[in-house]
Amino acid sequence: MAQESETPLLAVRDLRTWFHTFSGVVKAVNGVSFEIGEGEVMGLVGESGGGKSVIGFSVLGLIDSPGRIEGGEILFDGEDLAQAGEERLRHIRGRHISMVFQDPMTSLNPLHTVGRQMDEVLRLHTDLGAAERRKACIDMLESVGISRAAERLKAYPHQFSGGMRQRVVIAIALLAGPRLIIADEPTTALDVTIQSQILKLMRRQIAEKGASMILITHDLAVVSEMADHITVLYCGKVVERGRTRDLIESPAHPYTRGLIDSIPDPAARHDRLRQIPGSVPDIRALPKGCNFRERCPRAQALCAETEPDLTKQHRSLWAACHFPLVPGDVQ
Amino acid sequence: MTAAETPVLEVRDLQMHFPVGGGILDRLRLGRGGVRFENPVVHAVNGVSFRIAPGEIMALVGESGCGKSTVAKSIARIYRPTGGQVLLEGEDIAQHGFARMLPVRAKMQMIFQDPYASLNPRQRVRDIVAEPLLEQRKGADRATVRDEIAALLARVGLNAEHAGRYPHQFSGGQRQRIGIARALSVRPNLIVADEPVSALDVSIQAQILNLMKDLRDEFGLAYLFISHDLSVVHHIADSVGVMYLGFMVEKAPRDVLFARPRHPYTRALLSAAPSIKPRRDVEEIALSGEVPSALALPSGCCFRTRCPFAWERCAAERPKLQALGDGQQVACHLIDEPERDKA
Repeated sequence: MAQESETPLLAVRDLRTWFHTFSGVVKAVNGVSFEIGEGEVMGLVGESGGGKSVIGFSVLGLIDSPGRIEGGEILFDGEDLAQAGEERLRHIRGRHISMVFQDPMTSLNPLHTVGRQMDEVLRLHTDLGAAERRKACIDMLESVGISRAAERLKAYPHQFSGGMRQRVVIAIALLAGPRLIIADEPTTALDVTIQSQILKLMRRQIAEKGASMILITHDLAVVSEMADHITVLYCGKVVERGRTRDLIESPAHPYTRGLIDSIPDPAARHDRLRQIPGSVPDIRALPKGCNFRERCPRAQALCAETEPDLTKQHRSLWAACHFPLVPGDVQ
Repeated sequence: MTAAETPVLEVRDLQMHFPVGGGILDRLRLGRGGVRFENPVVHAVNGVSFRIAPGEIMALVGESGCGKSTVAKSIARIYRPTGGQVLLEGEDIAQHGFARMLPVRAKMQMIFQDPYASLNPRQRVRDIVAEPLLEQRKGADRATVRDEIAALLARVGLNAEHAGRYPHQFSGGQRQRIGIARALSVRPNLIVADEPVSALDVSIQAQILNLMKDLRDEFGLAYLFISHDLSVVHHIADSVGVMYLGFMVEKAPRDVLFARPRHPYTRALLSAAPSIKPRRDVEEIALSGEVPSALALPSGCCFRTRCPFAWERCAAERPKLQALGDGQQVACHLIDEPERDKA
């Protein structure tokens, strides 16, 4: 079936996840759509409050009160997870979709050995016997670069360093052979030499297993080295998406341009960084029109009136902007 | 910087060791010949020396646990150094007590990493910013102080109506501006900034870095700038010191260090940093393993357990910083035996 193979592994359509707080409704994710194919890595980028982590939690059905998925579809292999019951989600989590969290210090249970926490995944999601499970755990620990794996199964999380713990978390995420891994700032808490070890490891594991990944990060440099596609979020909406190189080399949205220019570039010899003025608006009281207009150097009267839709731009890019940049533009 | 110029800050052989106490039972060891007590010590800083000229921005980089923040806190005298000298405009403040530190604080101030934890949530902004000033000038005229505070807030990009608000009403970037205004209030010559932008989003980080640079130009400030982020350091620093496990392994003017890093650790650090630019042919030294414990330093060179070049001499002898010209100093035995430097 030719059509079957063209169905993306994950298609998120018009996702809206809102939080009903005492001080108003926080529309953390407000109409976000994207797709990920088999074996693809997609980067979700944005600053704090952009809604990137909430998207990851929504896909896994981990949104708790006062948050709620208000609408939209999360089609995983054709099945809408937004409508799935808790029982079904529990089957999918860990087995088909797994998650790597930011903080390796808190995402493992301090009271159980690493071996027990790994074994749990296989016990719940496979029908392997105890000896086979143990062997699978040892193999997986070795493949993420932990030596003396059989011994380390008996160790507790506090006996590992930060980088080693994140390797354990990745090993757990990969154990059941998931088709999609959601990695939420997987290396943010780590040092740069450890970060590069972990990123290499994740890239290799994903390629070997043919899995897909959503890489959630605030770090454009990390995402540009890892991802095939990038989706940029601002105030709960997609402002730009496209292939990594196109987006990094000549973005169409002024916000993306601003993010790239804010990174100190050793090759460029200017004295001052080009900065985005102001700060992210209060998400409970967003301005009329474009959310970015108050910080945007290209804003005009139209931007205060109507909110721009995501439209096709140059190369592979789509951007939500009335006055997008074209290649060669200097902001 | 000319050699004759008096540095704002000169640090000589700074050492900071922390005893890790624990109770009697934790320290008890049973061995041959009976019971003995151990007094384990964390060797956070092991003999660091450098100088900062007026108006210079010196950065200390390294990974967590390398002692860079401890150096900052020892200089700002949040800690009392175990050994060595801290000369601020020629005066050794390393062992000063509280009373003798008070006048010193008019010359040196600190900016902290976490803009959420470093401001008192129950003080208004104007009181936060005025506090160091009032401490220095007891009985100062209130109207003058108020005007000075307003001018300071304007200078860091806040306005007069902000003065009456509390910290929770501000974003992270604005809070960091408040922290900068507080540090500036006493007109110091040196600001010790411990990871001042690492808690901020990248667009806000650029605003704060620009502000810090402008203030340096305007007031002739010198900074000791602690950071783990090499691109930030490259942007702001005049000179850079690279630390590993409490040792300074390399020290050089910014352009020299980034163009010709010599220590294997510096080279690894530079090649590990992710970049939005497609990879040029940068030398790739991938490090395996992790930083050893500062409780039990390795013999010889601190970096040898992870160094791809290490040989017997590195375990036997601790390398000293040696000058290579252009202001570059490196502590590595490879300098004596360059033929071993083959990746």
